[in-house]
Amino acid sequence: MFAKRPIITMLAALFVFGFVVLTPGAHVAAQEKPTHAKICLTCHKAEPGNIRGYLEGAAFKSQSLQVKIDDAAEILTFDPAKLKVVIKGKTEEAEALRDISKGHEIRVEYIEKNGAKFATLVSSKPPISVPAEKLVTTDEMMKLVAMGPDKGKYMLVDSRPAPRFYEGSIPTAVNIPDAAFAGNVDKLPGNKDITLIFYCGGMT
Amino acid sequence: MSPNSARKAEQLGYKNVKVYHEGMPEWNKKNYSVLSAHSLNASYIKNDIPHVMLDVRPESKAKKGFIPGAVTFPAADADKLLSKLPPADKKPPVIVYDQEGGKDAMEVARKLNKAGYKKTSVVVGGYDLWDNSNYPTKRGSLATEAVYVPKPRPGEISIDDFKKIAAGIPADTIVLDVRNTDEANAGMIKGAMLIPDEELLGRLAELPKDKKIVTHCATGVRAEMAYHKLKDKGYKVNFLNAKIDIDKQGNATITKE
Repeated sequence: MFAKRPIITMLAALFVFGFVVLTPGAHVAAQEKPTHAKICLTCHKAEPGNIRGYLEGAAFKSQSLQVKIDDAAEILTFDPAKLKVVIKGKTEEAEALRDISKGHEIRVEYIEKNGAKFATLVSSKPPISVPAEKLVTTDEMMKLVAMGPDKGKYMLVDSRPAPRFYEGSIPTAVNIPDAAFAGNVDKLPGNKDITLIFYCGGMT
Repeated sequence: MSPNSARKAEQLGYKNVKVYHEGMPEWNKKNYSVLSAHSLNASYIKNDIPHVMLDVRPESKAKKGFIPGAVTFPAADADKLLSKLPPADKKPPVIVYDQEGGKDAMEVARKLNKAGYKKTSVVVGGYDLWDNSNYPTKRGSLATEAVYVPKPRPGEISIDDFKKIAAGIPADTIVLDVRNTDEANAGMIKGAMLIPDEELLGRLAELPKDKKIVTHCATGVRAEMAYHKLKDKGYKVNFLNAKIDIDKQGNATITKE
């Protein structure tokens, strides 16, 4: 449902502002700035009219929000009376923007208005739900680590990208970044009955 | 990320797959983490990530060889040295090592965690493994006081530089106040120019491109957004990333979190 609308908007923009859009300078500028953070593209496809990145800040006083997309920053304006904010699948009013913590992954739907991006919807990435019987608590994790992999009969896998792992990991963990899982299957134990525990940067 | 990997492992036939979903942030609240010599070098050292590194061996031993950047913090004196560290609310990553990655480092790391340092890690294999892996070492006196300066955000001006400019705005510089008019009415820096952030893109004609621009708001949030807008338009610009209160006379009180 998102695919069609932006195309129509873009066509309309081309029709009305054709001379602006087609100037080389404007074209290059539009190409240079990413709309989706690289890590988001491991699971999502880039959609026109959407931005995916990390929420850096929101200022109600100037009705703007800042999204970090890799090394770039995108500033969008919004109307506090109209912006929709989706948290855990529930659509709420603009005020809910304050409930999304800084640095959290978000998707923003926007339209171009006078050459600037105007946000219409901000969706906060919900945590992936894991069935309760598969969850390990911090206390259980601490007990296992104290025993060690041999006595505790487990293998602990850190699914974060290597640079995060290098900054400190849970003792006894092996790093297999989720994005590189397929190429590292040989690092997993041969015994398929062993307790295999995965962790990453948490739910937020 | 971890639930995805767990699913993939199940598809491979692993029958007992679990997820520690709370992950690293919760682990760090109660425990120290670990890093290898390779990890330490590949992250904090190579990428110049600000941190505090503590050598917990007796100073006489540490002098014979230590990891560059380390501060002497003998385990025996840890309790009384704690107060000399940069405050925990600045959230410095603290890296602890001893001779061989043993009890001393772990004990100090536990104390640090209890004292509120929630990003504390122990170097696996300690100094010995670092040295044996041929990473650089130093000899002689170690620093005695840990310093932690978080990395500034791109475009951030130092508070000292901002104060200098605000005290007498040079001819080639514009101090741009991007707060709302009602906020600015309570007091502005002398000689500053006011363009509320939301009006900025519509009023670029008022800003000469040959001048340096320094933006400020009340907290740094809008100033940073204004910085990005202006940078995208080709301006030479910086922003003040701090809380700033300005009285009627134009005196500014700047506080950094």
